[in-house]
Amino acid sequence: MVARRAPFFDERLRDVVGVLFAQNVKIRYRGSVLGIVWSALSPLGMAAVYTAIFGPTFARYYGGSHVLYGAAVYIGLVLIGFFIAATSECSTVLVQNGGLLNKVRIPFEAFPLATVSAHAFQLLAGSVPLLLVLSLVMNRDPLHVLLLTVPFAALIMLAAGMGLITSAAGVFFRDTPHLYELATFLLWVTTPVFYPAAIVPARLAHFLVINPLYAIVQTSRDLVLTANLPPWWMFGLALAEGALVLALGAALFRSMRARFMDHV
Amino acid sequence: MISLRGVNLDRRTREEFDDDVKSRVIALLTGRARKARRKTVLADVDLEIAAGEKVALIGPNGAGKSTILKVICGVLTPTSGVAEVRGRVAPLLELGAGFNPELSVVDNVALYGVLLGLDRRTIDARLDAILQFAELEEYRQYPVRALSSGMAARLGFAIATDADADILLVDEALSVGDESFRAKSRRRIDALWHAHRTVVIVSHDLALVRSMCEKVVWMDRGRIVAVGRPGEIVDRYVRAVDEAAVNALLRAVDIQQPR
Repeated sequence: MVARRAPFFDERLRDVVGVLFAQNVKIRYRGSVLGIVWSALSPLGMAAVYTAIFGPTFARYYGGSHVLYGAAVYIGLVLIGFFIAATSECSTVLVQNGGLLNKVRIPFEAFPLATVSAHAFQLLAGSVPLLLVLSLVMNRDPLHVLLLTVPFAALIMLAAGMGLITSAAGVFFRDTPHLYELATFLLWVTTPVFYPAAIVPARLAHFLVINPLYAIVQTSRDLVLTANLPPWWMFGLALAEGALVLALGAALFRSMRARFMDHV
Repeated sequence: MISLRGVNLDRRTREEFDDDVKSRVIALLTGRARKARRKTVLADVDLEIAAGEKVALIGPNGAGKSTILKVICGVLTPTSGVAEVRGRVAPLLELGAGFNPELSVVDNVALYGVLLGLDRRTIDARLDAILQFAELEEYRQYPVRALSSGMAARLGFAIATDADADILLVDEALSVGDESFRAKSRRRIDALWHAHRTVVIVSHDLALVRSMCEKVVWMDRGRIVAVGRPGEIVDRYVRAVDEAAVNALLRAVDIQQPR
């Protein structure tokens, strides 16, 4: 432990993430399965409201089907909801555990990673089964179900990377949660969740691609709702953007880690 | 084995926090931005502790005693100098810090143990022994908030001292629980004490320091004043504290005397 040059992965990281993840999930559901079901129900209710209001206008982009439009909204809500909830929670997680970090050596990154894992668990246990069933019903092609792992992998990398960034920012700036709320609003508006991507003016449509959630939401929707496979470059884009944000987040977190203890 | 060589530690002072984007930007715009001041909390600390030694850190509040423990357990990294620690370190937290009151006793054993640095398999294997020592076998699935504070302290003590550590760091009070548990915890501390473990304690209980430690480190304002045998160092420390008190008294009297 001379001069304590930090290894890339702390050997305790897995165990610590494990107990923090279990703590987070257990507190969230208090041992009840209903809690997980609830997490799948609330976006369903939201999707119903969107369908009632925007359905008459936007259903024509989905072959006139209100159900298809509602399903598309549901998929978008579930994915962006996971991302925003997980990364927002990360922005306070290190400061909240400051007392503990001042007493025992704990790999800092365990906190944001455990938070993202707990939200990912909620997504996978609560909403994903519904999406899988929907996909099988809509296009009877197990290949689609299999390919769904690609946007999900991209989404989890994206959330982990962004979670590392927001948690580090939260240490240095206590108003990070408020500022991040503005950022997530921007993300929410520029992701085609409740509106079809086709209504975006052609000049701006190119810029939508910059939003890493765009490729993730669009490929997931195509895989669940249509018989066509999304173009391969969309898979590549989703993965590349997810990996890029994860690499950025990890690099940023590592470069700041040494200064955390002055602030928590 | 613990070896601190030329350890300096600077920390940001806490009084001028502009820890948000808004006030940072305003400070920049109005030209009132300045670098955060840093304070030296440890200066030129050289300390060698051999395996099995029992060492006490004494000194007034703010002398840097707890900071040294934090450097040894790796919570703080020296600004310069080398901190070398061989062996597994178990910090004895303020008992129960790190418990989640909503989780069950069993879950908290895993949580607390892993945070203290044990690996998961070891804790799962030791679970029954820990609960037995804490006398909480019947409370396995109770949330910790349902325990009395004495029971929670017992659980914390049982986990922290079960850890098979080479180096035990103890910050102040050791006695927890009711009379019978106190005797039991005393026996366990004694056992650890005699089991060739390295123990570093921070204490204001000079009688305890005198009777139980082999080496005393006297600290003041981030520096080591003296290191040596307990009898000698504690005596010098007590004399210095007395002299300081007398001087302060004399000054106070001096001020009150009209000239």
